[in-house]
Amino acid sequence: MTDYVVKLRYYPGDALEEIKERNLKSLALKYGVQISYEKIENRQMKQGLLMENTLDKRIEDISQEVITVSGDREKKFADCIRALYKRYRCPRTVYSLLGSNEAGEKIAKSLMNIHGGW
Amino acid sequence: MKILALNGSFRKNGNTEILLKQALMGAESEGAQVEILRLTDYKISPCRGCGLCLFRENVCQVKDDDVSLIFSKVKECDGVILGSPCYFLELTAVIKQLIDRCWILGHQIGKIKKPATVIVPYATRGWIPYIAAQSNILLNVMGLTKINEAAICVQGISEVVLDQEALDVAYRMGREIAVAIRKKDFTYMGEEGVCPSCHDWLVRILKDRETVECPTCGVRGKLSMVNGKIRVKFEKKALKDNRFDPEVSYNHFTYHIAPSKDYFLRTKEERKSKFPKYQEYLPD
Repeated sequence: MTDYVVKLRYYPGDALEEIKERNLKSLALKYGVQISYEKIENRQMKQGLLMENTLDKRIEDISQEVITVSGDREKKFADCIRALYKRYRCPRTVYSLLGSNEAGEKIAKSLMNIHGGW
Repeated sequence: MKILALNGSFRKNGNTEILLKQALMGAESEGAQVEILRLTDYKISPCRGCGLCLFRENVCQVKDDDVSLIFSKVKECDGVILGSPCYFLELTAVIKQLIDRCWILGHQIGKIKKPATVIVPYATRGWIPYIAAQSNILLNVMGLTKINEAAICVQGISEVVLDQEALDVAYRMGREIAVAIRKKDFTYMGEEGVCPSCHDWLVRILKDRETVECPTCGVRGKLSMVNGKIRVKFEKKALKDNRFDPEVSYNHFTYHIAPSKDYFLRTKEERKSKFPKYQEYLPD
């Protein structure tokens, strides 16, 4: 079992730049961690804006990009999270780490103040 | 054309009111109808933090005060002149109280096209760091576009009548806003500042010590020294991340606020088990 697992949930517009799978792959290689990526898109163009009703939806079902990072070595795992935050900014909702394990969430949270604003 | 002055000063015929009246006279000279509201004459209750307005448009739990009247006056007018003294580094408490109540207007950010201008009398140079930020918050969340601002150094009660230059500035600003409305041109006319969106001089250093952020609109940039001068550079793409931009604001309500209901419901049992400790400790 992997020691550290974190899910970073970026809602539309939350990441500072486009999340590209090839960038994630090179980060995984660099830090010796596993990274997977999932994009959920449920928005529809209305009144010139991409819109979506999210009020009574499950968090996992609304539009978002989810980067899942897992690894066994704390330092490498933390460095990878830091690199992701530096590039994309940290995800900013209170539930942005939903689905992470406790050890992974603790590291991801501790780095948020540095790259997410304070 | 109707121009509304919002006065954040308690003091009748004080410097703020004099400068606002002077600005309104300038606006009248350009054909505007004018009105002034002294905000402290109205009941502005504190926001209760219930969050209802975040989930449903035009719903506020606080019904026994005058905030909806103030909002309707802002809605009816074509432009706003905001005035407030700066007593202690910031605008007055009534302005802050009104800002807190403005969440209900958050859904309409970017949907209104009206100009606003800001006049702040203050006493001590260097004691006004947050006035632009606070006025920007209020104007932005009300959906108004700031076209100018002036901080006027003056101290004693009504002393501003002795400062013809300050009176001229206020009069000119009143004329400017009327002209802006007539020409439908809301180009910013004031001092540029470092943030291209807010025209403020404040920046916040992030803890990575590499990035700076405009604390009001949230756009990010980099600091550098050019010819011995501090330079703050915001990339063009970063400017799109302005929290008062209609799309960014829509995303905030849609993806940050609304889904928090799901999280709230999921954590209900855990909260119920941990909450009584605090309910029982130092009860009302």
